[in-house]
Amino acid sequence: MSCLEVLKYLTRNVSETLQSGFFISSTNVGQSVFGTTVVFPIFLFPEIISRNLFSFLGTDNGQSQTDPRFKMILWFIIAGTRGGVNRAKILNLIKDTPMNANKIAKVLNLDHKTVIHHVQILSKNDLVVKAQKDYGAEYKLSQIMQKNQKVLEEIVEKIGTK
Amino acid sequence: MLDFMLAAVVAAFLNIGLLLVTIGTYIQNMRVIRSYYTSGLVLVAALLMIQNIVIVIFWFTLYMDDKVLMMSADMVAHYLFAINVIQTVGLSVLVWITRR
Repeated sequence: MSCLEVLKYLTRNVSETLQSGFFISSTNVGQSVFGTTVVFPIFLFPEIISRNLFSFLGTDNGQSQTDPRFKMILWFIIAGTRGGVNRAKILNLIKDTPMNANKIAKVLNLDHKTVIHHVQILSKNDLVVKAQKDYGAEYKLSQIMQKNQKVLEEIVEKIGTK
Repeated sequence: MLDFMLAAVVAAFLNIGLLLVTIGTYIQNMRVIRSYYTSGLVLVAALLMIQNIVIVIFWFTLYMDDKVLMMSADMVAHYLFAINVIQTVGLSVLVWITRR
């Protein structure tokens, strides 16, 4: 969003609010500082922030349906924690076919205990869900994770082949 | 009585240690995932570390220079102590999350 667009957005909102009669009277706006009231539309800012604070996260200008807040969480769990790369690999692996911990460990060539630990963290953060049975339970992506698969794909792309 | 200035510096050193741990983890991840997010994390942690290094330098300078300065510094030392200890608690939580 360019500066000009922000300005347009702001002025549009101000004029809309003026028309809807939020201010006591429109003549108040623009009066001198030493006058009675100077109305400044601070109440508009939360709206702007919630819409555009994380807009820098998206490279597609918000065209996709992904949730920017979820994107932040996924980025932190993958890029901000020890072993996060393996977590991304696990998520990417069970994206299409649900697998149990043993199989994940075999495919990714990881220790079984490591996989269990990662999967526990992932399910605590509501990224994967465990199937009902106790022994050899399969893990699959949770609903919110499935909804925002694009974010995962973006991150996995950056990991590359290493 | 607790020497607040000394305690503050101990907390600053602790902060530097905790930040070293986080930076280590972040750099390991940055090597694999090259993105603005990973480099941003490293940058933030590095800036916080510079802050704590400056605090340590500040302390050294105060005690090397002259006694008058030292006394007035001691009068406000508990504020610096509070700032640093709060930061230590915050960074401990961050390290705990990061190293899980």
